Amino acid sequence: MSYNSPLYLFMFLPVVLLIYRFIPQRHRWKLLLMASYIFFYIFSGKLLLYLLASTFSIHHIGLWLSSCKKKYTEKKKTAEDKAAFKIIYKRKRRSILWFGIILQIGALLFLKYFNFFGQNVNHILNWVSSPLLLPTLKLALPLGISFYTLQAVSYIVDVYYEKIEADDNLGRLALYMSFFPIIMEGPICRYSQTATDLYECKSLEYHNVTFGIQRIVWGLFKKLVIADRLNPLVKLVFDQHESYSGIIVIVAAVCYTFQLYMDFSGCIDITIGTGQIFGITIPENFRQPFFSKTSAEFWRRWHITLGAWLKDYIFYPIALTKFVKNLGKKTRVRFGKHMGQIISSSVALFGVWICSGIWHGVGWNYIFYGMYYFVMILCGSIFEPLVEKTTAILHINRDGIPYRIFQSVKLLLIVFIGELFFRANGLRAGIAMFKSIFSGFELATITNGSLLQLGLTKHDFAAVLFGLLVVLVVGIIHEKGVSIREKVADWNIVFRWSFYYATILLIAVLGAYGAGCAPVDLIYASF
Amino acid sequence: MEKLLEILEDIDPDIDYNTEDRLIDGGCLDSLSILSLVVELEDTFGIEITPVDLVPVNFNSAKALWSMIQRLQKEN
Repeated sequence: MSYNSPLYLFMFLPVVLLIYRFIPQRHRWKLLLMASYIFFYIFSGKLLLYLLASTFSIHHIGLWLSSCKKKYTEKKKTAEDKAAFKIIYKRKRRSILWFGIILQIGALLFLKYFNFFGQNVNHILNWVSSPLLLPTLKLALPLGISFYTLQAVSYIVDVYYEKIEADDNLGRLALYMSFFPIIMEGPICRYSQTATDLYECKSLEYHNVTFGIQRIVWGLFKKLVIADRLNPLVKLVFDQHESYSGIIVIVAAVCYTFQLYMDFSGCIDITIGTGQIFGITIPENFRQPFFSKTSAEFWRRWHITLGAWLKDYIFYPIALTKFVKNLGKKTRVRFGKHMGQIISSSVALFGVWICSGIWHGVGWNYIFYGMYYFVMILCGSIFEPLVEKTTAILHINRDGIPYRIFQSVKLLLIVFIGELFFRANGLRAGIAMFKSIFSGFELATITNGSLLQLGLTKHDFAAVLFGLLVVLVVGIIHEKGVSIREKVADWNIVFRWSFYYATILLIAVLGAYGAGCAPVDLIYASF
Repeated sequence: MEKLLEILEDIDPDIDYNTEDRLIDGGCLDSLSILSLVVELEDTFGIEITPVDLVPVNFNSAKALWSMIQRLQKEN
C-alpha cells in the first residue's frame, strides 16, 4: 500500500479522513496514531516493535535529560564547589545523550549494515586464511527506519541543547515518530515542526482539503507520467549494463536522474498534500534542485530536510569541536584565510558526506556517491577565488545568461554522473558503466533506432518529454515565488474545474499504470 | 559593535550589515562563512559558541549577532 496505490488513495486515506471528521477533537490524535501503526504493520508486521522501542527510548531519555537538569538547578545553589558540580552535571547529561544516540544509530547500523560489514570483514579473513568467519544474519529492515531514526536523534539532541522541552506525553511523541504519510520516505521532520500540530488535530477546512488533494494529484502526475514510464528503460540498462555502452548509458543515467527526482519529489508531494488535508504543515523537501548553479546549492534544494539534518547534527557539532577550531586557526596562519577555512571545514564536510553515503544505502557505491559530492563541493569552494579572478580578467558576466547556461550544464553533468553510480548495481558496475560511455560512444546510436529497443516506444518518450516540460514550466513559476494553486483558486469556476479535470485526464491518459506496466517501487522507501 | 561590523565586512563586503536582517534565512551566509565568523567572534570577544547557539535567530542580522555576543560574554 504505497502512497500512490489506489488502496491508499481511495480506501485508507478516505476512511481515516471520514472517521477523523466525525470523532471528537480530543480523540483524533489517537486515530492518527492507530492509523499510522496499522500502516506500518501492513508493511513491516512485527517489526513495529523496533519503532515502539525507539519511541519509548527517546521518551525516556528526554525525560531523563530533563530531570537531570531539574536536579542540577535545585542543587547548584547549595553545592560547595559550583564549578566542579557543573562539570559533573554536564558529563552526566552528555553520557545520557550519547547513550540515546548510540541506541538509535546502533539499531540502524546493526540492521542495515551488519551483513555488509560482515561480508567485507570475511573477505579480509579469507584473504589471511582465517578459519573464523562472521555469520550472515537474516535481518529485516522496519519501514522507514532510516527516516524515523534521524527524527529520534534530532529529538534527543534538541532536548539536550534545550532547544525544546522534553515531552512527557508519550502519545504525542509516538505520533511524531510514526505519522503515516511521513514514515515511508520522510521528509525528516523536527519535533518543533510537526509534533504540536499533529497532536492538536485541527478541524478539516475546505481550503486545506482542496489544496492538499491538488498537491497529491501533482505528485501522482510526476510519479505516474514520468517516473513509472521511465522504469522499463532504467531497469533494463542498469540490470543488464554489460550489454550497453556509450549514448545508451548516458540516456539511462539521465533517465534515472529524472526518474529519481519525479519519484521522490512526487511521493513528497503526496505526503505534504496528505498532511495539508489534516491541517499539518510538513516541511518542503525540494526547491527546484535542477535550477542550482553549484553542487552545494543543489544539495540545499534536493532532499532539503536530510541536508539540514546533516548540517545541524553532523557538520556544526564537528566543526565546533576544539580540534577543528584549532586546526582552522593554525591553517589560516599557515595557508591564508581562504584555504585555512576550507581545510578546517573539510573535516566536518567529510563527516557529513560519509554519513550521507552510508545513510543512503548498503554498498560501496553509496559510500562512493557520498565521497563524490564531498570532492565536488570541496573543489567548488577551493576554486571559487580562482574562478572569480578568471571571469573578471576575461570580462565574463557571472550573472549573464551564457555563464548561467555553462553553470547549469556543468551541474547537470555532475548530477548525472553521481546518479549513475548511485543506481548502479554496485561500485564495480558503476565504474564499468562509466568507462563504457567512452569506449562504446557512437553518435549513430541516436539515429539507428537503438534507443527504441530499451523498453520505451516513441509515445512513451513523447509522454515523458511532455511531463518534463510541464514540471519545468511549473518549476519556473515556483522559482518566481508564484503559487499556482492560489492563482487557480481565483479563477472562474468553469476554468478552474476545467483545469482540474484536464490535469486528472492527463494523468489518466499519460500515466503508466495497469496491466503491462512495471511501475517503480518508491525508491527512497528502500533506504 | 564596530569590531563586529569589521569582521562581517571582512567575510563578505558586498552585504549591507546595517540593514540586512536575513543573513541566514536569505542565504547571504553559507555554512563555511558561518564557521569563519564563529572562529573570528570567539577570538575577538573571548566567547565560546556552541551548536545550540547556531540558530538563524542569532545570526540573521548584525544586531542579533551583537545580542548573542553580549549574552555569551555575560554567561562566561
